[in-house]
Amino acid sequence: MLAIPDSWAQDLTTFPSDLSMPYTLTPGRAAGTFVAEVKNRRIVGSRFASGTVVVPAQDFCPNTGDSDPELVEAPHTGTLNGFTQTDAGIIALIRIDGSDVDMTHRILGTALDGLKVGQRVEAVWGDGEGILAIEGFRIAANAPQGEIRPLEAPAKPVEQIPYRLDLHYEHAFGPYYGRLFDEIKTNRRIMGVRTSDGEGALLPPREIDDITHKPTGTWVELKQTGTVRAMSVIHLEFIGQTQPPPYIYAEIMLDGASTRLIHNVGGIDMSRAKELVKPGTRVRAVWREGERTGSLADISHFEVIDGEE
Amino acid sequence: MTVPGDPHGGASGTAKGTLMTLDRVAVVSSAQTELRPAWSGAQHIDLISAVVAQVFKGTGLTLEDVDFVFDSGSDVLDGRSISNCGFLGAMGAHHKEESRVEEDGLWAAQYGVTKIASGAARVGLIIAYSKPSESETNAFYASQCEPFYQRPVGFDHRAASGLQAQRYLADAALDLSALARVTHQRWSDAARHGKVAIDKVPDEAAVLADVNAAAPLTELMLSRPLDGAVAVLLASEDIARRVARPPVWVTGMGSASDRHAFASRTPGRLEACEAAAAMALRKAGWQAAKADIAEVSASSAASELMVLEALGLAKQGQAISLLDNASTAINRSGGALPADPIMATGLVRLAEAARQLSYPAEYGLSAATSAIVHGAGGVGMQSHCVFTLEV
Repeated sequence: MLAIPDSWAQDLTTFPSDLSMPYTLTPGRAAGTFVAEVKNRRIVGSRFASGTVVVPAQDFCPNTGDSDPELVEAPHTGTLNGFTQTDAGIIALIRIDGSDVDMTHRILGTALDGLKVGQRVEAVWGDGEGILAIEGFRIAANAPQGEIRPLEAPAKPVEQIPYRLDLHYEHAFGPYYGRLFDEIKTNRRIMGVRTSDGEGALLPPREIDDITHKPTGTWVELKQTGTVRAMSVIHLEFIGQTQPPPYIYAEIMLDGASTRLIHNVGGIDMSRAKELVKPGTRVRAVWREGERTGSLADISHFEVIDGEE
Repeated sequence: MTVPGDPHGGASGTAKGTLMTLDRVAVVSSAQTELRPAWSGAQHIDLISAVVAQVFKGTGLTLEDVDFVFDSGSDVLDGRSISNCGFLGAMGAHHKEESRVEEDGLWAAQYGVTKIASGAARVGLIIAYSKPSESETNAFYASQCEPFYQRPVGFDHRAASGLQAQRYLADAALDLSALARVTHQRWSDAARHGKVAIDKVPDEAAVLADVNAAAPLTELMLSRPLDGAVAVLLASEDIARRVARPPVWVTGMGSASDRHAFASRTPGRLEACEAAAAMALRKAGWQAAKADIAEVSASSAASELMVLEALGLAKQGQAISLLDNASTAINRSGGALPADPIMATGLVRLAEAARQLSYPAEYGLSAATSAIVHGAGGVGMQSHCVFTLEV
């Protein structure tokens, strides 16, 4: 079992982090037509060469992988084939009349104990986006049996749908990162641990040496000065940047460390960045004023030490 | 220990197994951390390096003997892309062949066994880890759902589990008390073996009275996501015979995936699990799933019964009878219900089954010579992997 090594008393619990990923989804012909037509209160399905009908429409048959289906118009009625209730509401398996497979959607207007497999259902229309133009389905005992019809004059498929996936994390620091960031926050010290052979120091600190897979050595405070080993002037804008370009991305070897720290070199005339900062340039950490976060962002940037090589 | 000869020189063992003319491969050692609701004082790398250091103990092998490292974890659960790159050092994979399998660790083991059986390597380290406590398990599964039709309506892994359970109970003519029995039994088993953090084993009434998760399933009837790491050492026959007491031979493997759209799958059955089991049994040369030990994964108490049936351990709708009368010791470790380190659950099953074959008395077994091991992945258990083990 894992033994937690002794560590500096730390108050940092977890490191909150949000990933917000933008996507441009391409639904393809079948789902694209479904999304375009569901606004018009038409439900689009696919009929494959085998005769299999799939509602809502798919470009490929889930059973056989057949492609190039004929798009068809499906009725707004069906049968309840299964249901469950989660925090998202009542989620059901619904077999649209004429379809050979179920679809999943919500059941509205009836509590769980009023539902039975086999009940007839009909679509409830709303004004949501995409499939949510169908708000859900409601129990309709007398819903007539619908049938699949040819899709007359289909709308042009929607080609792209903007989408965003938001994920939230609470990362554990663990004993080594915990002390590293606690020291940064509390004492403005940068702490590493000695490599397993004792020759250098690892930053970030860790229990096991990456190269030898042996336990690392004692804690060591690293100097706040170092040497640029590699750098790039970033002009490009891209998602995930923490500052507007231009800025200098640099790999800095702190004095006493045997690993490189990724940070920014700043405080210079950026139009002369390429001539002022090069591999070999000596730099010093500049701490950020104001609230301390207990992260590398507490170091605002590294500044060039004039006159050192 | 140094392995003599050219490590890439091909198989030197006698091919007696049913994997045709390929080298035989054995599980020689395993290590796991305790499985806890939250390892809040440790990072992924802390858990991983702990099991990697542990797995060699008593084998005489060291990291130097390891030809490859295959690992399983999820970038979405980890909150970073290509997360294995950040964990290489902890995995002992510095300057070694390393591959990530973005499926449960049992698939990584399948890859590793194949590599050794082919003669391309002799010793492989398989690692799987999970820290669902750092993220939202629901978001993890939602990210696997189709974004046009499924995600917007709130369909997710929980809903899939609920729909599966409703259908299974109806087909098998069972009520919820059966699922409460399964849940209570598995938590009791896990508590007995001490590798899972358990405050209190819920009795059947507590299982039934727990909050709704995905009707008819209560929260306790769903597998409980836990943090932890597991490492398994695989070796070719010549090495396994020298370092393991006894070597646990992998005699069959199979895997299969069902349709991605849950609503299109055949309801009430896990057809991909049936296919994976048939493949593994055929390779092992077994006429039926008559194993002494079964270690299986499941997303819910209902799907555990479905898995046991798909593996052929019980007839359709009758797996509940295995609780009273089974010639196979099923999930003596507790299985996935009390402890589901997502992406590592199946590899934990392999480690557990191998351990039970090596030390049957610890698990109350008089003798055991064969085991069937199962892992699953995806929304509503879309994918399945099955191993047969023999000593």
